[in-house]
Amino acid sequence: MKASPRVQKEVIECCKAGDEKAFAEIVLHYQKKVFNIAYRMLGNLEEAKDLAQEVFISVFESIKDLKEEIKFDAWLTQITLNHCRNRWKYLKRRQYFNSDSLDDPIETEDGNMPKSIVDSSDNPEALYEKKMVQQFIQSGLLKLKEDQRELLVLRDLQGFSYEEMGELLGLPEGTIKSKLHRARMDLKEVLERSAH
Amino acid sequence: MDCKKVRDRFSSLWEKELMPSEERIVREHLSSCPECRKELERFEKTMGWLRSAGEVEVPEGFLPELYKKMEERKRAAPAEKVRGRWFHFPLSLKLPAQAVAMVAIVFLVLYLTKMMPMEMYRPKEAKQTPSPLSVEKKTEQVLAQKEMEKERRVLETTPEAELPRPKDVDLAKAPVPREGRLEEAYVPQVKAEAKKEEPPSPKTDEVVAYQRIDSKEAARAKAPSPRAGKIEKGWVAKKKSVMASKAPQEIILKISDRGRAISQLHELVKQFGGEMVTIEGNVFLASLPTAFLPGFEKELAGLSVPTQADKVAAEKQVTGSLRAAPGAKKEEVDEKSKEPEKPAAGQESRSLVRILLIQE
Repeated sequence: MKASPRVQKEVIECCKAGDEKAFAEIVLHYQKKVFNIAYRMLGNLEEAKDLAQEVFISVFESIKDLKEEIKFDAWLTQITLNHCRNRWKYLKRRQYFNSDSLDDPIETEDGNMPKSIVDSSDNPEALYEKKMVQQFIQSGLLKLKEDQRELLVLRDLQGFSYEEMGELLGLPEGTIKSKLHRARMDLKEVLERSAH
Repeated sequence: MDCKKVRDRFSSLWEKELMPSEERIVREHLSSCPECRKELERFEKTMGWLRSAGEVEVPEGFLPELYKKMEERKRAAPAEKVRGRWFHFPLSLKLPAQAVAMVAIVFLVLYLTKMMPMEMYRPKEAKQTPSPLSVEKKTEQVLAQKEMEKERRVLETTPEAELPRPKDVDLAKAPVPREGRLEEAYVPQVKAEAKKEEPPSPKTDEVVAYQRIDSKEAARAKAPSPRAGKIEKGWVAKKKSVMASKAPQEIILKISDRGRAISQLHELVKQFGGEMVTIEGNVFLASLPTAFLPGFEKELAGLSVPTQADKVAAEKQVTGSLRAAPGAKKEEVDEKSKEPEKPAAGQESRSLVRILLIQE
């Protein structure tokens, strides 16, 4: 996992006791990871921020139920994924992603960028050079099935091990590997279709 | 190894997870298959993009906003807790509670259904809540209706006799929680009105109660309900048969000379082979052979004051709250128990008659 080293067990214990300072420490330590998972899963910065905050509120409310402090990372990721799934369903019901396609403007950290910049005549290398890869990948990810996107985010963007993913998703390692490969191939197809 | 199998190993190849022998076979295929080689190139490019996507920075003010949200949540929490508490109860608690509630609702519905005829019966009378199952109360209602009918007839002949007083009508409409209280509430007012109309005379509670009924009936006579009339007939017919064997008759006499009336009453009772059971003020309870009852009533009517000679009689079930001496009550009960529904051969059937004297 790419994430920085785990927070100390004592910090988690303090947070369990209701210490807001310890909670703040946890938030600062994990906010990037949670926010990024949310962003890659939802493709929207505002939604991702809101969701990440909801995740930390859930953490604060239910950390007292966490029995093994050592599993805090996995527990936090599980909460994040659950929130993402729920939010995705909610947004889908509201047809939030209906207009979303690779031809739509892509949301970047600097705001929306019209798709015209991501011209189809540009090859992927050019896109990469223009540092548009991130958004290009993001739009491709959103075209995939939710579980496929989850696998790609966890493994290829967040660097989770197969073992961790197995625990999180409740799937055998072999299944995860085959599903992940399928997801990667689908993403390749999606990106190729959009590039040509 | 065919193209499909080779392409299925792209991920493992990229992550360097293939066994050396397997990797060698894959590489051999790739060197001889330009399509698979091209496919692998695309795959690796995609993986390169993915891995190079990097991380997005967290927006500024993430933590303060989070605290703000938590504060808002804290403030909203108590109300939500109260609202959602029921849903968090375990089923083992919820199910019995729901079952009890359901039974309670069923009983309530049954109770209200039984109440309905009574309420329709006297909609304008005080909103008392008598026991729906009490036969005594129903009988009282029937009696009141019957009296009302007779009173209506009296009113037709003597218009100024007992006109409904607006106060009484209002009182009848006023919600009174209990029957006992209702009676208490009426007594002072009726007494006060009685003082205006009549010279002071010794009154019993029965008389007061009777007058109360009068005023209510008069109010009711103003706007009789056709539906209530139907019900009334039904009730009267039903109750008459019940009371014929059990209930004493109540006869109200309006007299001018009390002493004379009492002596005449005693004589009459003796004359018809009866006896006085109790005497309490102006209330006389007499026991008479049932066969002589009509004649006795006729004679009693003759004792009344000629101008208002109409005897107003009502059949009334003697209840536990009958205003007779406790000893008399016992006697009455004893007598009832002695009197079977169908008298045996050689036994004389007797009836109780209650006579109320009202001085004009």
